[in-house]
Amino acid sequence: MSDLTVQDAKSIIEEQIETLKKRNKEPEWVTELRYKGLKAFFEAPHNDPVIKDPLDYIAKAEEEMYPEVKSLDELPPEMLALLDRLGIAEVEKKYIAGLAVQSDTSIVLNDFLKEWRKKGLIMESMEDAVRNHPYMKDLFMRQFNPYESKMAAYHTAVWNGGVFLHVDPGLKVPMPLHLFFLIQNSAMAQAPHIIIDAREGSEVHLIEGCTSPVLVRHSLHLDMSEVYVGKNANVKLSVLQNWPEYVHTRPMTRAIIEENGEFINTTVGLGTGRSNIANPKYIVKEGGYVELNGIILGQKDYYVDLGGEMDLEGQGARGMNASKSVIMDKSTVITRGLIRAKAPKTKGHISCDALILNPEAKMETYPGLASEVDDAELSHEAAIGKIREEELFYLMAHGLKEEEATQLIVKGFVNPLLKDIPLEFVIEIRKIIEMAVSGGM
Amino acid sequence: MNPLLNANNLHVKVKNGGEILRGLNLVLNPGEFHVIMGPNGSGKTTLGLTIMGHPNYEITEGKLLFEGEEINELPPDERARRGIFMAFQSPEEIEGVKILDYLRLLLEKVKGVDRLKSHDMVMEKAKEVWFTEKELARDINVGFSGGERKRFEILQALLLDPKLVILDEPDSGVDVDSLSLISLKLHEMQKEGKTILLITHYGRILQHVDPSRVQVHIIKEGKIVMHGREKLVKEIEEKGFKKVFEECGCNE
Ligand SMILES: Nc1ncnc2c1ncn2[C@@H]1O[C@H](COP(=O)(O)OP(=O)(O)OP(=O)(O)O)[C@@H](O)[C@H]1O
Ligand SMILES: [Mg+2]
Repeated sequence: MSDLTVQDAKSIIEEQIETLKKRNKEPEWVTELRYKGLKAFFEAPHNDPVIKDPLDYIAKAEEEMYPEVKSLDELPPEMLALLDRLGIAEVEKKYIAGLAVQSDTSIVLNDFLKEWRKKGLIMESMEDAVRNHPYMKDLFMRQFNPYESKMAAYHTAVWNGGVFLHVDPGLKVPMPLHLFFLIQNSAMAQAPHIIIDAREGSEVHLIEGCTSPVLVRHSLHLDMSEVYVGKNANVKLSVLQNWPEYVHTRPMTRAIIEENGEFINTTVGLGTGRSNIANPKYIVKEGGYVELNGIILGQKDYYVDLGGEMDLEGQGARGMNASKSVIMDKSTVITRGLIRAKAPKTKGHISCDALILNPEAKMETYPGLASEVDDAELSHEAAIGKIREEELFYLMAHGLKEEEATQLIVKGFVNPLLKDIPLEFVIEIRKIIEMAVSGGM
Repeated sequence: MNPLLNANNLHVKVKNGGEILRGLNLVLNPGEFHVIMGPNGSGKTTLGLTIMGHPNYEITEGKLLFEGEEINELPPDERARRGIFMAFQSPEEIEGVKILDYLRLLLEKVKGVDRLKSHDMVMEKAKEVWFTEKELARDINVGFSGGERKRFEILQALLLDPKLVILDEPDSGVDVDSLSLISLKLHEMQKEGKTILLITHYGRILQHVDPSRVQVHIIKEGKIVMHGREKLVKEIEEKGFKKVFEECGCNE
């Protein structure tokens, strides 16, 4: 139980809302939504197997925004050093692409090629976006209802930071865009709100990197993403999570995929944090396609639960939910997927593969398929097991040490799901896997 | 001088099974070319895997010496690093691991080759056994044809440059041209001074090998019961094991 009473909590959140309202000079409808969230927070259901009392994570907003910085060089030195260590500056240079960094409750950097803005690519902080574009009212919090859970309600009340990404009809962005979250303060809930608005026939790939430079005790990361994939649009959203062990993450993702649109959502949970629970939901219209690729590295005593609900609403809509989990130490990994075929000629597939590296690690999988029509093709497969002795022997017989051989097998196991991740990140991901495997041996 | 490998009164038991090798003796001196033949199930693969250190095969009695040192308990990777190599009868598929990445890793970790050089080394040797760059982008043995698998085993031998090369039926399931290529590679390895232990059922694999240097051993129920030269291979091909065993009184 938290030390806070409900009354305390109410006034803290109220104070936060007022601070955010003033700080952001936000339009009235945004503040109204926040108060709706506050009300919902005390009425909405809460069932989280790890976070018993969300009041423990109630956080204060920062007094001031960081000054607007236009390039990497203008960042505060400690932040620069950090980005360097993470190899982000390097990645940014290579792609000459957009990079935004969100630190705690503020966007620190928003560095973009000006031309792309002129061509119709908007990437700005969510605070700016709700001020700048009246049509945000039709996009913001349209795929969520604050009453569905306390987490959603709390996010609605105190969301801060995040990005708005808009791509004009027909615009194809050739390079991936990067967004990094850095948590620096402890005991705070970071609740960024992300909206991707990809109009008809557009193409874009957003990579979110989540990491935390210091060990922040019991932080809660409560991000919410709303994705609009227009007709014939092609959107990729890759989320690389590398949280330290004290962060609890509850990413909330929703997407609507319009006619013949395509949405590839990859989530790589390398450092999943103390616990990570997500149940993204997707609505797919006629001829549309959605793919959820989940890579999970279960370590220590972490708890990871990755779901994924797909509603195939239009004729010929397709959904694919694939996960690969590497489960070490005493971690628990649960994967579930649910595909509902609601229109003719729809297709859905759930596949769940897991490598269990320690007898004390736990894995559960619950694939769900539901069909309301008679000509849908729905299937699922699961393969859960240890590293095969013969495989290990084959590699060791050629001179690789047990550790090297295990690393190779694990990297090979997750490899098929990394197809949309740029090589620089894949190299980084492989290094993290190697370290995790060695640490677990 | 020590023999390269000395198997002395080797008794081997398989996990969850019985004794398969029952007092087997075999001495391989450096640079020699040995052929092992024997009926299906007589213990040929078991002998190879035991020399390589497969965890399922336990030496219950006897000694396995490599360069004079006992290696009974040595893990497989250390045997490989000392210079023992085995081309497997049925090689494993390893999904998601690209051949090129794997072979470069072998060169770097096992042979200490510089990362800048490993790529070219792999390419060069790969060409010798007919692998194209495109094929090297595939996963280890996944979807390989029988012949491709055998050539891939040979490729690894070429890269690791071992002292002792054990080949378990490198000729089964390969076409005429590949068979000739593999035979040629065996000949080259022998010329370089490597010691060869070749397990086979047929003499064709010896087409490019100098017959005068070939020593043949016949294994039966986990023991070596006959020794001979290349002629013995032909005799077995003509008469079959049953008859040869009867004639030599090996059935007692
Ligand atoms: N892992 C194992 N578990 C149980 N039995 C085994 C195992 N490995 C080998 N055996 C048994 O040991 C005997 C010898 O097998 P091995 O594979 O060594 O024969 P081989 O001479 O190589 O035969 P082939 O010519 O068919 O390749 C066989 O009866 C086989 O079934
Ligand atoms: Mg055999």
